[in-house]
Amino acid sequence: MDESERDQSPTTRPDSYEAAVERLEEIIDRLDSGQAGLRETLELCGEGKQLVTYCAGELDEVGAGLKELRLDDLAAKLDTASDVG
Amino acid sequence: MRERARVQLIGEVTGVGRSKVQAYFELRDGEGAVPCAIWLNDLEKAGLDGAGLRDGAEVVISGGLDYYPGGGQASPNFCFRATHVRLAGEGDLIARLEALRKQMRAEGLFELQKQLHRPALPKAVGVVTAERGAARRDLLAALERRGWGGSLVWAFAPVQDRHAAPAIGMALQDLAARPEVEAIVVTRGGGSLADLWAFCDETLCRTVAMLRVPVISAVGHERDSTLIDDVAAVACSTPTHAAEAAVPLDCLAARESLERCVVALRRAGEGAIGTRSRHLGALARGPARALQRERGKLNQKIREIRAAAERGLTERAASQRRIGTVVLERARRRAAGADMDRRRDALHRAAVTLRAHEPERTLERGYALVEDDGGEPLASAAEAGAAERISLRFSDGRVRARPEPDDAA
Repeated sequence: MDESERDQSPTTRPDSYEAAVERLEEIIDRLDSGQAGLRETLELCGEGKQLVTYCAGELDEVGAGLKELRLDDLAAKLDTASDVG
Repeated sequence: MRERARVQLIGEVTGVGRSKVQAYFELRDGEGAVPCAIWLNDLEKAGLDGAGLRDGAEVVISGGLDYYPGGGQASPNFCFRATHVRLAGEGDLIARLEALRKQMRAEGLFELQKQLHRPALPKAVGVVTAERGAARRDLLAALERRGWGGSLVWAFAPVQDRHAAPAIGMALQDLAARPEVEAIVVTRGGGSLADLWAFCDETLCRTVAMLRVPVISAVGHERDSTLIDDVAAVACSTPTHAAEAAVPLDCLAARESLERCVVALRRAGEGAIGTRSRHLGALARGPARALQRERGKLNQKIREIRAAAERGLTERAASQRRIGTVVLERARRRAAGADMDRRRDALHRAAVTLRAHEPERTLERGYALVEDDGGEPLASAAEAGAAERISLRFSDGRVRARPEPDDAA
């Protein structure tokens, strides 16, 4: 891994929740193996924290309580907006 | 023309109208419609007079082509003259369903939805169902059990009549058009195949196959198999299963798992730093400890040296004293010894000389000493001749004698 990759990889936003969790599991497996050096450990921990933050954010987005919407209402709002526009 | 081959058609009745002598309707399927007519007496024979023949009914009709030449007030037209009609039975529907299934499978339409990515945690899920159905309640309960609190966009539609398939198809397309909707559930409760027939509609199923949002079907019960189940991304047996398929991630379990990840990461991070810092600390203390150890050794050596030195000094002092004594003794001896030895030697020589002059030594060599009666030595013949009595002393004793005059004198 060169410097640019090292700098970029931890800040790259995951494609999806499952991708984030998969990477997180890889990181924890690597850390649990005890084979990572100090620098790699700290980088993995940093990346893992970002993934956890991302996952927690994703869960929070669907954790505020189920919102029920009606397609008819959404379509009506859309129509109203387009009429105003 | 009326003598041409008699055939059977199956389809949905639409646009039913009646005259005094016959009934008109269209028999429609996914590919189109055929205008049909049946004499009312034939309809009566089939037991479908009155409301029997109604819009939306699935029927099987037998008959052939007929032609009406028209008249002064009416246009000529072709139609399918049904001579027999009956409501489609389960077997008819299954046969039709199988034919459709075979055709759509051959077109690869069953695979399109299954290739779509289904997010584990969709933010919004669309649902097409009946507004008052039990499926709605079951779906909500299942989603809440998983701790999912995203947006649920309801698109209510009839689920059992001739309006159902187009309405469901329209709802699906409208939901799929909304960017936030990441999965769509189509559900209704159980029923006969005829009740569920809308979900076997070819147009609807082709629409589902072409959607770019995954559709999860949960139509009827487990034993029911509709065509929409085949084209959907996932076919579920119940609304509860459909909820789990639409939101694969159990949010409550996911939160717990995430907390474990946080703990693992924290442990790894702290461990990495803590372990290494302890190691570093140990390494840093190493030289100091080594120095301390060496210093201890050095102090010990110093103590030993000091003790040894003290011992050495004492011993040396003693030794010196001994040496001094010896030296002094020797000096003294040297000083006194020489004189004494000289004296002793002189004495010895004097003693030897003296002993050499002792008369006993001479006597031991066989000489005799002449003494008078008083023991005084007589050193000349005149003194011995003058004495009345003399004593001859040998080394081993005395002999008395009388001197006799020397005749020769």
